[in-house]
Amino acid sequence: MNIPSNSSRVKKVVVLTTAMLTFIPFWKAAAVVLCDFGSSAFYAGGIAMRAFGPAFPWYILAVMLFSGLLLMLELEACSLFVRGGAYKIVREGLGDTAAKLAASALIFDFILTGPISAVTAGHYLCGLLNSFLELLDSGLELPEAGVSVLFGLLVTGYFWRQNVKGIEESSSKSAKIIAFSLAVCFLLAIWSFITMALHGAHLPPTQLHFSDESLGWAGHIDWMQTVGLVGMFMAFGHSVLALSGIETLSQVYREIEYPKAQNLKKAAWLIFGFALLFTGGLTFLSAVIIPPELIATKYNDNLLSGLAMSMAGPNFLKLLMQALVVVCGVAMLSGAVNTSLIGSNSLMNRIAEDGILTDWFRKIHSRYGTSYHIIHVIAAVQLAVILLSRGNVYLLGEAYAFGVMWCFVFEVTAIIRLRWKKAAQKRDFMFPLNIKYENYYIPVGLILLCGILVTVACVNLFTKQIATIAGLGFTAFLFAVFSLSERLNAKRANTMFEEGYRERINAETVDDLKEAFADLDRPHRILVAVKSPDNLYHLEEVLSKADAENTDVIVLYCKPVENMLYRQDMRSAAVDEHEVFTAVIFLAEKYGLPVTPVLVHSNDAYYAIAQAAAVADAEEVVMGVSGRHGANPQIERAVMTWGAVKEQELKHPVTLRILWEGREVSYRFTR
Amino acid sequence: MSLGRLIRPERVLVAETYPNKKELIEALVKSVCLDYPQLDPADVASQVLKREEGISTTLDTGLSIPHARLEELTDFAAAMAVLHQPLQDVSGGDLPIRVMFLFLSPAKPIFFQKHLQLLSALAEKFKPEFIEELVSLSSAEEIAARLAR
Repeated sequence: MNIPSNSSRVKKVVVLTTAMLTFIPFWKAAAVVLCDFGSSAFYAGGIAMRAFGPAFPWYILAVMLFSGLLLMLELEACSLFVRGGAYKIVREGLGDTAAKLAASALIFDFILTGPISAVTAGHYLCGLLNSFLELLDSGLELPEAGVSVLFGLLVTGYFWRQNVKGIEESSSKSAKIIAFSLAVCFLLAIWSFITMALHGAHLPPTQLHFSDESLGWAGHIDWMQTVGLVGMFMAFGHSVLALSGIETLSQVYREIEYPKAQNLKKAAWLIFGFALLFTGGLTFLSAVIIPPELIATKYNDNLLSGLAMSMAGPNFLKLLMQALVVVCGVAMLSGAVNTSLIGSNSLMNRIAEDGILTDWFRKIHSRYGTSYHIIHVIAAVQLAVILLSRGNVYLLGEAYAFGVMWCFVFEVTAIIRLRWKKAAQKRDFMFPLNIKYENYYIPVGLILLCGILVTVACVNLFTKQIATIAGLGFTAFLFAVFSLSERLNAKRANTMFEEGYRERINAETVDDLKEAFADLDRPHRILVAVKSPDNLYHLEEVLSKADAENTDVIVLYCKPVENMLYRQDMRSAAVDEHEVFTAVIFLAEKYGLPVTPVLVHSNDAYYAIAQAAAVADAEEVVMGVSGRHGANPQIERAVMTWGAVKEQELKHPVTLRILWEGREVSYRFTR
Repeated sequence: MSLGRLIRPERVLVAETYPNKKELIEALVKSVCLDYPQLDPADVASQVLKREEGISTTLDTGLSIPHARLEELTDFAAAMAVLHQPLQDVSGGDLPIRVMFLFLSPAKPIFFQKHLQLLSALAEKFKPEFIEELVSLSSAEEIAARLAR
């Protein structure tokens, strides 16, 4: 068919660009999570060592095994498809107040993730430079605290700018970083085993030696003994900071490609395996190979550098290994800084969408399409934390675990509650250990997990003084800000509630339909015409069955041209495109299939659809049924319009389909 | 489906113009019903007009294709009008009608694909140049012969 793409029927073509409509494979999703979650390998061991002594690798290993349970928790959370991660899950399950508390705790976690990662990266870098200076016998030693603060500020500043600009291909970069880290991990492990074979090795001790600092208030409470189960929980509590970053899985879930549920499980397995080997394994090897006195002094803030420098072999090779560790550490930890900004930005956006924060926060950057106000606030707070920490990783680590633990407590409680509240909802994954009772699955496993989390979180309240004071203070402050802001914003929030959530989208006006479809590169194309956010059954059908690798799905919304005499049947069609595309994006995310959303202004939807299908060279055109007219008049009109605009033989057959609940009427153009 | 077989000269109405779309449809229905005595023209016209109340069948090429699917029919039946002066289709976005091709098809589901095929074929054939050519012809016989070609 040969139709001029700037035909007078289509007045204006707009391509929506901001919405997240491209999807990533499971391994890239796993890499994004691991850049945050896996980066704790570089500092968790050192902090745990300082808190309770040489038994730390057992607990870091235990925490990594425990992460498997939390990954399963995230799988069930994601399978509920409550978009917006832990905050939205808690809101669904436990209501607004608990959600605000969980969000406050999680933001506290995100705000500290950036600084602890950036400062740790600085320590690794400074450690490497000092090793070089030592090798050169220069007699110089760079101040670790100062260098780490400076480096932390630079890294955070860099990612601040990048996030405002909107980083592309971040998942690809994460995948490269993780692949490199895996290679470094493999080299370290092999060399460690050679070293152990040459020097001999002993398993780390299991006795706990808490310092007064790490006992906190518990040191003054008689029944909180440092032996037995209580002691184990206290040590575990000092190691749980290694869990930070798992919640990124629920953030990245939006982006995982079809088939979503299976890919999410694969990503979770990959994350678990990597974290166990990388964080658990390398921390364990460090404890076996590095003399405890060196861990406590020289390598407390850069444990894996210590592992590289304690191997058997010539110094220049050890230095080379340390350099590889530092490159890997700086890349991963910098990735974590970036993830913390992305995560907090996303979370704050969800909160703002609920009317809890004013629209000022969600303001989209006119050039880059990012919510830059939120990014500015988060990055500024992170920079302040870096300066206040003065490069002290232990101090940051002590404060750190509060947010992640309490957020998990809220999340698991909400998911338990949702087992009753949303008993009928299909779940692709359920946390194991359930007892079926009538229509409910009693979550025995989740209740046990909740028990462990609550116990650890409560024990931490006593042992981690800094975390308790800073965490409670920050959470209370943020909760107060949210509550106050929500009250001030009440009128606007009510309006938003009535209108429903709307995706913030950036639109790019292009010259014609041809330009709108210029980037389509898959061999097959389906054009789905949408008209109402409440009538997207046909789009869901297409998304649930489309071959994602070979098919481009174009979603076309035809908006009547203003100030023109419309056809009678077009007069009721003008709904807000934001509403329509918000629903479209939600479905695209649900199925993990990319779509190309296009808005055209036209005085005749059928002409616009026929023209767009022709220009896009679509093999299938799918429409929903109109409640007003019915499917038969619709397909008649579409067929007539198709005939009217057709100017030459088709290159391939085109099928026109109208779909509604379990039914279909179709027509196949063959010539 | 051959348009020549569907449209005989006696089913072609050539007119300067018509007062309105409704009357034109009624005239064409009356013409078609001459071949089908079992059909009540008033009833058929009301079904065609009811269909027109929904999505308009007037295209911006100048062709209007009012139609209806009837239980009583076992084959397609049609009549057409060629207007020398365009008739404004008020209910169809004020598009000018130059040619009206009215057809009736059997209501059985098996005929629906053919029904759609005919709609598509008519829309494809009656492009503005072809309509201009028909309008330039002065008699029903010439128009029927042109269609049959």
